[in-house]
Amino acid sequence: MSFTVGKGQLEEPVELLRIALDERVFVKLKGDRELVGTLHAYDQHLNLIISDAEETLQKAELDEETYEQIVRQERRKLQLVYVRGDTVFLVSPLLRHTGTFL
Amino acid sequence: MLSGEQSSASGPGSTAGEYEGQAPATRTPTHFLRKVLGRPVVVKLNNGTEYRGTLVCLDGYLNIVLENSAEFLNGELKRRYGDTLLRGSNVLYVGTIPD
Repeated sequence: MSFTVGKGQLEEPVELLRIALDERVFVKLKGDRELVGTLHAYDQHLNLIISDAEETLQKAELDEETYEQIVRQERRKLQLVYVRGDTVFLVSPLLRHTGTFL
Repeated sequence: MLSGEQSSASGPGSTAGEYEGQAPATRTPTHFLRKVLGRPVVVKLNNGTEYRGTLVCLDGYLNIVLENSAEFLNGELKRRYGDTLLRGSNVLYVGTIPD
């Protein structure tokens, strides 16, 4: 069974979010931030209401002795979050993911 | 791997002569993009990330839905997605890639 949306089924791109309502979504945001949570509402700006979210923040630091770049991940839980649309790069419904993820 | 970018300047299977004699309204970027629907494309964002997948849907803002897509950073595969919605404001270009 395929979870992918058949082409021609969507009138406009933002409609993908209507299909994803009440499902888990993956969101990529400005500033190396990522969110995984349940999508409750969206609008044309891609403002999002997401609940039970986990935010992952990537921080790149330079080791002072070896000058090697170290990527550190910080995670935190958010019960309910309003994401402003202009910070969004990408939204992807998790149920529809195929192959490897994360 | 990056061979797709060379073909992005011309439309899918199009030649310059194809548009001759047509009204200017049929030679807009939107018209080009409509012909690319359902084809494999590469979408590059302003932050340098590239997404390759099948173009399912797009609108005037260049909001884009890709199917069976993969994320590349500096030519390196980072992640795969089933369906993904890219926000138009971050899009640098959309190019076709050969099947």
